[in-house]
Amino acid sequence: MTSLPITDPSRHAVYTGRTTSWPMVATTCVAALFVVLMGKESNGAWGDLVFVVPLILVAIGILANILTASSVRATAGPNGFTIRWGLFGWPRCSYRLDEIDHAEVIDLPLWRVSYSLWWTPRRTNCTVRSGPTVRLSMRNGRIVTVTVPEPAAAVAALREASAAAPDADTV
Amino acid sequence: MRWTIDLTSRERLQDQIVACVRRGVASGELPVGEQLPPAAELGTALSVDRNTVLAAYRQLRDDGVLEFRRGRGARVVSEAPALSSVTEAAQKLIATAREHGLGTNDLIRIIKELT
Repeated sequence: MTSLPITDPSRHAVYTGRTTSWPMVATTCVAALFVVLMGKESNGAWGDLVFVVPLILVAIGILANILTASSVRATAGPNGFTIRWGLFGWPRCSYRLDEIDHAEVIDLPLWRVSYSLWWTPRRTNCTVRSGPTVRLSMRNGRIVTVTVPEPAAAVAALREASAAAPDADTV
Repeated sequence: MRWTIDLTSRERLQDQIVACVRRGVASGELPVGEQLPPAAELGTALSVDRNTVLAAYRQLRDDGVLEFRRGRGARVVSEAPALSSVTEAAQKLIATAREHGLGTNDLIRIIKELT
């Protein structure tokens, strides 16, 4: 949707977007197939720990993947930028507007895609595909890179919110 | 999806949220099958109560725009309605306004007063 600048301070704009992590979905499907094949190989020997333990571990991995890494939801607006993963919105990262120094759209190359949540002392990466991506430079020096369906709209929402805030600094 | 609300407007917040979804569906930004954000998340983002968002979602469900599925949230089910009739009516309105010597700003003011 075309974003028009909002000059009325009583109005505010919020951007929400959801991106499915197809690599994680594919990984989950492959893992589920592995569980089925392992189950067939066991020939009913479910009491054997050699089969049961790996199957339980893989099943837990599949469940964790479905619950936490299948999709990324992002929200940008007056309350800052929030990233939520998976069905229940966890893990979650929130950045208040006054914590964000600069927001921009970058072109993320394929070899920089994290395909899941990667956290280091200097960076947070929540990227599931290459191409246009939101990059936030935080005031504490942290760099946050997030895949959203419409990065330009997300950045525009942050800038409008920053401009409308009474103690706003540049975003 | 871009949500714009006016907290000081006379229009109910619930109706403003409904209008946002309808605009998104009409513009193709919300295609059929698209999942909307959970009510609690959207409420927090828009600084409105979760129940206000839920009321808007229910209204859209009753209008056949959304459907609720357990564990899958609210999803868009209706095709984008044709805007041609609205565009046609707007063109007629503009033509009538021109006949009466009214400009774009006058028209916008009248529409704002009426809504």
